[in-house]
Amino acid sequence: MDTALPQHFTEQSIYTLKHLEGRTFQLNQQTIQQPHSLDELTQTPQIKMDLITLTPRHEETTVAACDTSTMRIGETATGMLIAVRGAAVWRQNKKYRYMRLGPFVFHVTEENKAQLYDTLEKSYFDATHGHGHHFGLNLLQMPLRIAGLLERWQQVMLARTLDSGLILLDGSLTAGTGDTPVQRIREILAHAGRSRNVILAFSKMTSLRAGGRLITDACFGRNSPSLLHILGLRPKPPIVLFGDVYVARLSKGGCAFRLDIDKENPFERRIEAVERLLGNDVFSQGYPETLRLAHILCTFTANEVLAMQHFAVRRYGLQIIERPDMHRLLFGPFGRGEA
Amino acid sequence: MKLYRKEGNILQMLSFPNESVEKGDYLLVEDCDVDKALIAQVIDVQFASVPGVLEELLRSLPDGGEVIQGEDFDPLDIAPHITYIQDASLLVCKIRATVEKDNLSPSSSWLPSRSKSSIKKLTLPSLLKLAKIGGRLPILLGGTKDSSLLTIDASHLDGRLNIITGKKETGKSHVSKLLMVNLIGYKATVVVFDLNGEYVSLGLTGDGKRNACHDKIHTLTPSQNFKVALKQINLHVLLGILIHALHLPGTSAREFRRIWQALKEKDTVTLHDLGEAIRNWNCNQHVRDALSSRYHAMLNSGFFTDSIAEATLLEDALCKAKEHGGAIVINLRSTSAIDRQIVVEYVLGKLVELLTSMRLKAAFLFAEEAHLYLRETYWDDIVTRMRHLGIFTTFITNQPDTIRENIYRQADNIFLFNFTNEHDLEVVSRAARVDAETVKSIARDLPPHHCLVLGKVVRDFPMVVKVKALDVRTMGETRLFFSERDQN
Repeated sequence: MDTALPQHFTEQSIYTLKHLEGRTFQLNQQTIQQPHSLDELTQTPQIKMDLITLTPRHEETTVAACDTSTMRIGETATGMLIAVRGAAVWRQNKKYRYMRLGPFVFHVTEENKAQLYDTLEKSYFDATHGHGHHFGLNLLQMPLRIAGLLERWQQVMLARTLDSGLILLDGSLTAGTGDTPVQRIREILAHAGRSRNVILAFSKMTSLRAGGRLITDACFGRNSPSLLHILGLRPKPPIVLFGDVYVARLSKGGCAFRLDIDKENPFERRIEAVERLLGNDVFSQGYPETLRLAHILCTFTANEVLAMQHFAVRRYGLQIIERPDMHRLLFGPFGRGEA
Repeated sequence: MKLYRKEGNILQMLSFPNESVEKGDYLLVEDCDVDKALIAQVIDVQFASVPGVLEELLRSLPDGGEVIQGEDFDPLDIAPHITYIQDASLLVCKIRATVEKDNLSPSSSWLPSRSKSSIKKLTLPSLLKLAKIGGRLPILLGGTKDSSLLTIDASHLDGRLNIITGKKETGKSHVSKLLMVNLIGYKATVVVFDLNGEYVSLGLTGDGKRNACHDKIHTLTPSQNFKVALKQINLHVLLGILIHALHLPGTSAREFRRIWQALKEKDTVTLHDLGEAIRNWNCNQHVRDALSSRYHAMLNSGFFTDSIAEATLLEDALCKAKEHGGAIVINLRSTSAIDRQIVVEYVLGKLVELLTSMRLKAAFLFAEEAHLYLRETYWDDIVTRMRHLGIFTTFITNQPDTIRENIYRQADNIFLFNFTNEHDLEVVSRAARVDAETVKSIARDLPPHHCLVLGKVVRDFPMVVKVKALDVRTMGETRLFFSERDQN
């Protein structure tokens, strides 16, 4: 496995933290784990839906998934302290295994954000794609951007190392934004195709609507498991849809999810991939367990946040300061609502 | 350690994995700004309520209960910090005293600074020194967890009411023997009601040789080497036996008094003459029958004799013990329930008689499973009247609910061994010298031969001690069915 990216993550993590030694920082447990949606950038004038009934296929197939998580663990006078962690999970011979990377702790400031992102990106990805326009990055976007890099690297690694397997991604196969350049998604899909892997991207939330209703609210009838093939989606440029979009209800009574399958695969192969997933993974609420585990394993618990704060204080001598909570200060008990 | 919370006299502290603190340990919470410190004892160790721990545990077991296998690439080595936080513990402590300029006071009314206070473990020798436990008549009780020795002062047993309790085979008799041997060493008079014949070999070492107190142990076995000549017995003591042990009604007791006086006048106080007098006495037939049945009970006990030579003078044994110290072991092992009560009534009556007439200064009474032979009214008598006369009782039992609540309330010292039963702990926790939480929390986890010492002997600083081994021949062991077969 090419470990250039994790190594650079480590180096940059230590580098940014060393420049922080002895400074004061304020604890912060606010979570910023929600990725933004690209659904609204897709035109949906004429949507047609075909119902496909699925039959689980039990021939042994490795199912793999990956996910990343990021957390702001404190603020400093010049920026913020963030943590990033990635997890890859695979199911083979009915056993789950995992590989977890991190947590990587970074001190991100207005001064170092562009250079930090650049260094991390260049360490693995082709610098020609998406490189060069990081100077307009918002500091608050940095955690997601850094986590995005780690996630893409994990996806490439799975696509390259797995053979004839199924790779489950969290999100969609939509590209064309700053953190998901078209070329990067194309590269992942190309690696997967060369190793006869099929990529299935599950979106937990979607805003795609058909006839005014969310596509995931579409009626499946009594057939389960099944797919609804969404036809006629046209993305607004520069957004590119690399996947064929489906609504998947993979267990009886479970939830429906948007499912993107690499459209380079013929239709039969796409359906067969979902059927192999049904025969080789466990489903809880209609969501594949491998992907659920990847999410669970990378997510930070409150205990871990405390531990990272402890780490920052002990290892780098940061001084914790308690800044007043302005919401609490101004609004008292009414200061905890969402803004 | 960090001070977290104070509620009443309960302190809660956060402790981290590198700080090894256990139940029973003492901590010193020093606030240098006010030059005061709190002495607190850990009564419970709990997991600290760290947020996210449940999620942490749940995600480690998602695969149908099996731990999911995998690798963690943790380049910054944060995992130890996670474990450090996750394993943090919450120490629930009871405030025992405040130290101010080397003086101890039982106050817990002030609040030490949460941010500035330093918390450290208080070693037992330091605590003993601070609390001035020990004294001029030391009894080495045993070793503590931190390998220091716990010595109590025998004078803190003097004039006190003590209880030794714990479930079976935890070491109750052992500590009572230890106290006895030491008291004898300090020339004290000790009387033991030995229900199972456990104390008869107190004068022998484990290998059967004579030990230092061999000559000071007098074992009296009723109806064998312990008999009472009717002539020597005081009417008051005899009436005590008849009324309390043999439940003679008041009217009959009055008739008996007349018979006794008649025999005394004729100087014919013998068993035979007493029997004849009852048979021929001019009184109500029911009274005669009542007296006759009690007479035969006395006769059948074998405890009474007409022969002065055959009689053992308890008084002599007690007076001998008074001079050089000694223990009178009343071996009740083979004595029936009724006879046991007769003997106990006699011994207690005799003790009171000797103490009242100042022929005996004081006596330490050790009573094992006293509910089996002590009459109802004696419980109150022991903690009030008899104590003032000079009988200082130590009750030994594995059934704490057989001892009355007022005894616990007035107990000065309690030597508490392991109890797991909630009900038993509930009973013991009524003792006035300690709080219920300490008793319930610490006693439940005591290993065998470890004793929680409460009360005046430890100046109200409950301490756990491993009772020191005593080179005394073990008696009173349970007879086993399979023991021989196992040896073969």
